[in-house]
Amino acid sequence: MNEKKWINLVLMGDSNLLILNFIVTFFGLLLILISPAKWKSGLLLLLVIFNSFLTSVPAIHALTGTPLNIIISRFSPFGPIPVRIDALAAWFILIINFTCITGVLYGKKYMEAYKEQKGNLSMHWTLYLLFHFSMVSVCMVQNSIAFLIAWELMSLSSLLLVVFDHQNKKTLHAGINYLVQMHIGVLFLTSAFIWVYFSEGSFDFTAIGRALNNHTGIWLFFLFFVGFGIKAGFTFMHTWLPHAHPAAPSHISGVMSGVIVKLGIYGILRVAFMLKQDYLLIGQFVLIFSIVTGLFGILNAAVHRDFKKMLAYCTIENIGIIGTGIGIGIIGMGNNNSLLMILGFSGALLHTLNHSLFKSLLFFSAGSVYQQTHSRDMEKLGGLAKYMPKTAMTFLIGAIAICGLPPFNGFVSEFILYSGYVEGIKVLPISQTILMVISIACLAIIGGISMLAFTKSYGTIFLGNARTPLHDQPQETSFMTRFPLYLIILVMLSVGIFPQFYFSVLINVISTSVPGGIVNNFAGYDNLLPVISSVGRYSLAFLCFTVLIYFLRNRLMQNRTENIAGTWGCGYAAPNVKMQYTGKSFSKPIAKLLNFVVLEKKKFTEIPKNEVFPLERDYSSHYIDFFESNIINKVVDKIVYAANYFQFIQNGKIQAYVLYGIFFIILIFLGTAINII
Amino acid sequence: MISLILILLASLFFTGLVIWTKSITSGRKGPGIFQPLKDVLRLFKKGAVYSKTTGIIFQVAPTIYFASVMMAIFVVPFGQARGFISFEGDFVFFAYVLATGKFFSIISALDTGSSFEGMGASREALFSMFAEPAFFILMGSFALLTGHSSFQGIFTAMHFTTKFSYALGALATFVLVIIAMVENSRMPFDDPKTHLELTMVHEVMILDNSGFDLGLILYTTNLKFAMYGALIANFFIGAIPWYLALLVFFGVQFVFAITIGLIESFTARFRMSHNAQYIFALSSVSLLIFFGVLLVLGKFI
Repeated sequence: MNEKKWINLVLMGDSNLLILNFIVTFFGLLLILISPAKWKSGLLLLLVIFNSFLTSVPAIHALTGTPLNIIISRFSPFGPIPVRIDALAAWFILIINFTCITGVLYGKKYMEAYKEQKGNLSMHWTLYLLFHFSMVSVCMVQNSIAFLIAWELMSLSSLLLVVFDHQNKKTLHAGINYLVQMHIGVLFLTSAFIWVYFSEGSFDFTAIGRALNNHTGIWLFFLFFVGFGIKAGFTFMHTWLPHAHPAAPSHISGVMSGVIVKLGIYGILRVAFMLKQDYLLIGQFVLIFSIVTGLFGILNAAVHRDFKKMLAYCTIENIGIIGTGIGIGIIGMGNNNSLLMILGFSGALLHTLNHSLFKSLLFFSAGSVYQQTHSRDMEKLGGLAKYMPKTAMTFLIGAIAICGLPPFNGFVSEFILYSGYVEGIKVLPISQTILMVISIACLAIIGGISMLAFTKSYGTIFLGNARTPLHDQPQETSFMTRFPLYLIILVMLSVGIFPQFYFSVLINVISTSVPGGIVNNFAGYDNLLPVISSVGRYSLAFLCFTVLIYFLRNRLMQNRTENIAGTWGCGYAAPNVKMQYTGKSFSKPIAKLLNFVVLEKKKFTEIPKNEVFPLERDYSSHYIDFFESNIINKVVDKIVYAANYFQFIQNGKIQAYVLYGIFFIILIFLGTAINII
Repeated sequence: MISLILILLASLFFTGLVIWTKSITSGRKGPGIFQPLKDVLRLFKKGAVYSKTTGIIFQVAPTIYFASVMMAIFVVPFGQARGFISFEGDFVFFAYVLATGKFFSIISALDTGSSFEGMGASREALFSMFAEPAFFILMGSFALLTGHSSFQGIFTAMHFTTKFSYALGALATFVLVIIAMVENSRMPFDDPKTHLELTMVHEVMILDNSGFDLGLILYTTNLKFAMYGALIANFFIGAIPWYLALLVFFGVQFVFAITIGLIESFTARFRMSHNAQYIFALSSVSLLIFFGVLLVLGKFI
């Protein structure tokens, strides 16, 4: 009795916290608007931390076994709105909260450079609060219409955050691109939800499960997949990412890449967990599609010279890796193999967390580089490790982690995925075994190329000599700027070294989210947990071993002579910085090998035969996106061409517009008169 | 534990044996087989020269490279005797820990700001990327064949039951030998004795290293060879008694070293632009092993 009462109290408490969250956000928006300019960012920080606390408490309760399930029926114009925080939502809410806090901590310092733009900044901070609130809401509300409103709120607020630098034409273009693509996504989602409504008569998310159970359920899944996939940035639907991320201020890029794309993953997982049939077909589709995404993303990341664009493409790759986990998980569901299912889904979910950590770390570090050098072109930089050693260190840690190398967290999730593949190879029937073998090879290639991409980026930006003289000598950022980065690194290390803790939480997430019938034997657990914990243990051992040897080496070298000289130049007496190997030439071999996917565009005028003394001329080359230039742009061009014929409708004359109104009214009138409508 | 000692022992003479073979085939007497080791010891006693462009990365990279290979050696078993580290899926750890070392050796080459060393770094990154899938397909195939996914489990459960599985063993040996050649930048892919920086891969990356660090890098190469030799030997050890196993181990290491010597004596280096394709073709050999395994298990119906 007592215990039950206590649980009730806690649950009541949780729903009160959410109401408080809503109220805080509402008044917080007003408060930020009216407060003096220098307090705004601090106030936002407090509000974000407070809001995160309010939503994290129910999330932690959900992860420890008491999910929240309340239904708001008052004040709602479209039926009762169920607000549910189950373990899956809780996992994403915690990721969002952490990344948003580090984002605002970093952004607070980052935006100090723009403190003259008071109005713009005020808008920015206000929207950040709304953005955080809307993302958390997306994870909680389970009513289609309320969900779409939250989703739209998230898209619009993030759009306005991206176009902070709206005087810049390129930024605005990227913003509009983002806006349009997000709404194509919403179009798919809306049609999917309407489909669910017409087949089940309910806006509740539980209806999706019933609708997916129909024999046409697979098409409904694809509608959802495309709708959420555009947000997540699966290939072919990814073209907003490489434009929006470089355009946004760095803390926004970090948060967008860290969590906003993950909400696409959240949506896909939410729907995937409700599947009851067609597992194999869907699973194989998701797996193959994700692998193509991963390969395409990392290949482009390896060749681009704008480092924020490089990071954006790398996000696409990581979405691919997460997608492969989802694919394995669904295939596991289809084969009634709970071990495979757990490995797949937990790999995907853990990589979601990991990617949000190291990608925000990388974007924040890259943002510091951009602020010190005012350049996003890595070929213009070089040798920054001497001026900004600590930022170089944080970027390096992010790079190691994102390549999936021990001892950091990326290795753990990739290890789980590899285990999933190996398990798949061992137990699945032959057709799927072959798919698994090809996937394992592709994951290895993705790992290899990401090493190439990140050694190139790190080496070109931070190592060697400065390639071009900069206006001001770059300086190390302040401790407060780096503080959120250290926070992220701490969490990353905790995942890398104590993965068993996170893994056992994930097992809980998966076992509560997957429909009951499939979770039959969890015998594999007992073997799995020690394996995961040994990964962390040996990663730590590797770290300690390295430190030990380095210590011994330094002891040995203490009394040795140490000379400083120039770099070996093959006997050449006058080397200069322009002779350094460039990032472009570093990645050229792979770009050349795969030039049918990585398209290079060169601009130059050839030297005619009769030009005996050639004049100075320009040569430039850049890489273009295969899907964007070959497919999407061509289709869009055709649409724009066709739309030209209808331009006469929008002629700018008010009289004509009034006439359209009258036409419309007459049409409606006639329609009702002859009983069509 | 046993494997660690054996690999360390094999690493003492491995490169020496390769050089000795090369000398004999070219009609020279050649240095003693411990000469490379003596060179390393000599380097260990020396001071160092650093380029003024380099920073901390350049100084820690050789250590991390060495530590990563040692860590990988800890994973390698000796027949049924497990290595220091053994768990389900440890071959992933093996591959990734080696990759960490490679990551650092690549960025340490870039740290010098040289016009050549980046070239080697780029090639190293590309070639090892292409070699990676072959290894994973190979291990995946053996996981399928044996039902285990740790090195020790796979090697213990390997039974050469049919004639067909001998073919698989031979193919796997071929794949591992080629991977070892790529990873150590040996002859058909890279000529360690070339004198032109433009055609080097691994050697050009360590142009600026000196003293203790250079010694560490050179010794790590020996270790890496012995490690791959041990992996190959494990294919044939299985469950035989320990004295025979020891014999097989050193026999394989000797044959492996002499084979490398012979390959280096009688082949020329490939054209750099063809290397990538050639290495990638290794994956198809691995796939062949995979289909062989499917055949052995009767999964093709």
